[in-house]
Amino acid sequence: MANSAIELEPNAATKHAIPISTVALPPASDFHCAFQKIAHSLKIVIFSAKINVLLPFGPASIILHYLTNHHGVVFLCSLLGIIPLAERLGYATEQMAAYTGPTVGGLLNATFGNATEMIIAIYALKNGMIRVVQQSLLGSILSNMLLVLGCSFFAGGIVHYDKKEQLFNKGTAVVNSGLLLMAVMGLSFPAVLHFTHSEVRYGKSEVALSRFSSCIMLVAYGSYLFFQLSGRESSHYSRIDIQEGSESDSQRQNQSQNRAEPEDEEEEPEIGLWESIAWLALLTLWVSILSEYLVNAIQGASESFNLPVAFISVILLPIVGNAAEHASAVMFAMKDKLDITLGVAIGSSTQISMFVIPFCVVVGWMMKKNMDLNFQLFETATLFITVLVVAFMVQDGTANYLKGLMLVLCYLIVAASFFVHVDPSSSDD
Amino acid sequence: MMASTEEEKTGLQEEAITINGSPLAVRKMQTFEHIGSLAAVAQSYGPRSVKSRILKSIYIVLIKAKINVLLPFGPLAVILHYLTGKHGWVFFFSLIGITPMAERLGYATEQLACYTGPTVGGLLNATFGNATEMIISIYALKNGMIRVVQQSLLGSILSNMLLVLGCAFFAGGLTHPHKDQVFNKASAVVNSGLLLMAVMGLLFPAVLHFTHSEVQYGKSEVTLSRFSSCIMLLAYASYLFFQLKSHRSLYNPIDSEVDEGQDAKEEDNEEEEEPEITQWEAIIWLAVLTIWISILSGYLVDAIQGASESVNMPIAFISVILLPIVGNAAEHASAIMFAMKDKLDITLGVAIGSSTQISMFVIPFCVVIGWMMGKQMDLNFQLFETATLFITVLVVAFMLQEGTANYFKGLMLILCYLIVAASFFVHVDPTADDN
Repeated sequence: MANSAIELEPNAATKHAIPISTVALPPASDFHCAFQKIAHSLKIVIFSAKINVLLPFGPASIILHYLTNHHGVVFLCSLLGIIPLAERLGYATEQMAAYTGPTVGGLLNATFGNATEMIIAIYALKNGMIRVVQQSLLGSILSNMLLVLGCSFFAGGIVHYDKKEQLFNKGTAVVNSGLLLMAVMGLSFPAVLHFTHSEVRYGKSEVALSRFSSCIMLVAYGSYLFFQLSGRESSHYSRIDIQEGSESDSQRQNQSQNRAEPEDEEEEPEIGLWESIAWLALLTLWVSILSEYLVNAIQGASESFNLPVAFISVILLPIVGNAAEHASAVMFAMKDKLDITLGVAIGSSTQISMFVIPFCVVVGWMMKKNMDLNFQLFETATLFITVLVVAFMVQDGTANYLKGLMLVLCYLIVAASFFVHVDPSSSDD
Repeated sequence: MMASTEEEKTGLQEEAITINGSPLAVRKMQTFEHIGSLAAVAQSYGPRSVKSRILKSIYIVLIKAKINVLLPFGPLAVILHYLTGKHGWVFFFSLIGITPMAERLGYATEQLACYTGPTVGGLLNATFGNATEMIISIYALKNGMIRVVQQSLLGSILSNMLLVLGCAFFAGGLTHPHKDQVFNKASAVVNSGLLLMAVMGLLFPAVLHFTHSEVQYGKSEVTLSRFSSCIMLLAYASYLFFQLKSHRSLYNPIDSEVDEGQDAKEEDNEEEEEPEITQWEAIIWLAVLTIWISILSGYLVDAIQGASESVNMPIAFISVILLPIVGNAAEHASAIMFAMKDKLDITLGVAIGSSTQISMFVIPFCVVIGWMMGKQMDLNFQLFETATLFITVLVVAFMLQEGTANYFKGLMLILCYLIVAASFFVHVDPTADDN
């Protein structure tokens, strides 16, 4: 690590507290300058975050894929290798958002916020592993609402033990959870239709209905973005009390909210606009490559570790995609900024249910795969119950460690259920 | 959007009572001077003026409202029924023909309510508020089309909670784009709690049936349904008492002392109601319109099966989506209009109150009527409908808790309704023996 002033947590606000002036930029020359800039960029993006110690696992998994046949090890290595890449992707997005202003920045965060899950899902879709796609996206929502929220509440409650409970903005939480509830409701109808055996053409109707619903959900997501970014007054969406003319919309993922810290109000992006775009593209490419190996290794890993594919999809894959958000949510809870935590957790879940899932259905439609919204009965029921319960629980606007503990324990129960769960049709992909 | 008579009146005033939600319960106040003079004229009972009074009455009720342009479709439907065999046309024409009559029925009820005072007026509104749905259901019941009854009533609840509320929030939000609209949280919460309980009461026969845990398969649920219906009717009676007598203050809308400058026609000071027709005329019109609607409903219900085949739509879709849109059209229009005038309490009263009325009164009433007719009408809506109803009510109840509304929430509700409608488009009954 070049600079010990850099904090440990990924996406921490204080990471950006390094003033640019301490980094000596070379004087303008030509090739030498470019080389210096690249090296400097590399240093900031790759070498300055501690999480990047996990980076070598990526290439290691590729090597292992070709050298050995141990799918399990390949799977684990690519899993570990994607984690820092996902985090860096978030960092690059946030850096770019610093240049583009709040609106486009919000859009960027909205799109790339769950880029990792999207990429993994699209690869799985290409391989025809439709159940894996459904389960990993569903697991992402469950993990956000139970695990991330639970860990944050728990950690925040422990750290602020003297305060008995932490407060957050009730109104925003209720509105956001109401939206999530409606989105989940929209997603549930194809499954309910299928399981009440009441379709016109068995097997075909629900795909048609799913595609229609997905288009509608994408329209809803578009208006959701428009609604939030259109600068409403008196809105609940300016959760962050520090509105210094920078972003004030809640669509931002946690990365951008770091900058609204009271002690750090200016945005000092660390890399140039073009650099961030280049890094964005590079990291996306890198994540795609690793995802391919990851997805290909799922089946083999499931057999070699003796874990159900459902468990891998619902529990393990989302943990990877969510790792960075998880860490920052916990950190914000410990700093008593629960609004941001809630925004991360619930906002990410809403984004997945209103954007990523319908988007995957549409992509599947174009790829001619039969991806539909018919999550099986168990998953659908779990999702609905979870969203309902969490929506009720955030209503009172307080959090303490017991609530967090309960959420985490619920997540353990859900995880255990998936450990002993096989698909009823048992024709797994 | 169908222009209702409210558009023609220059002044509108909501009374404190939002009695179980039908728009008829909303006291509208007219400030036309010539209406007042007409009313004065109508007081005279001389024989010479009977004919002119009748003509005036016909003019006021039938001609003045713009929605009555749809009136000719009614007789057309009857003619088509006898001339051709095209059930599709008959169905659609009678559908369109009922719409203005449902609205006029509401108007007549409201006029009568002006004379009878708030309590009986509330009762009138409560009874006649969903008269159209009730009449259609009773005809369908007589034809033995039990699934149509269940689905049309269920569709009415869904349409009220999702489509009407969604359109109203959306329209209101677009009209007031810069802030959220507020409504009286307390009464919304109470009403949605009641609705949830009513839906819960409706669910148990279905749950019993689908967990295959009945004592006598097929018979137990009918018995349970009849018992539940009697209990629900009792609950409804106490609900009326609660609203009209003991807890009226709960239903006061949010005070509009905070200036809502958009509403130029704010008239909080004018409390007089100037009915446009006399009491007897109102009663007569009520009877005439009811008979008229019954006749058309007869043709409508007879044409459902044929229309479903000729237009190639599942009967479920027709019953759940199309029929309720007709029955609710007038309420729909007035709810949207009140939302645009920033009187969301009335809108909520209309939507949620109508849903509550259907679930606590109309549905149990139909079960009881079916009991008397010897038909096996029960509360066992099929699993998909039951699940849809429960999920919808839960989600909407949750969403109303906040007390604010904006166009995005309205849009979400409308989109959810589209998804529900699409589900019913590809839905057939599992038993596949449709009525």
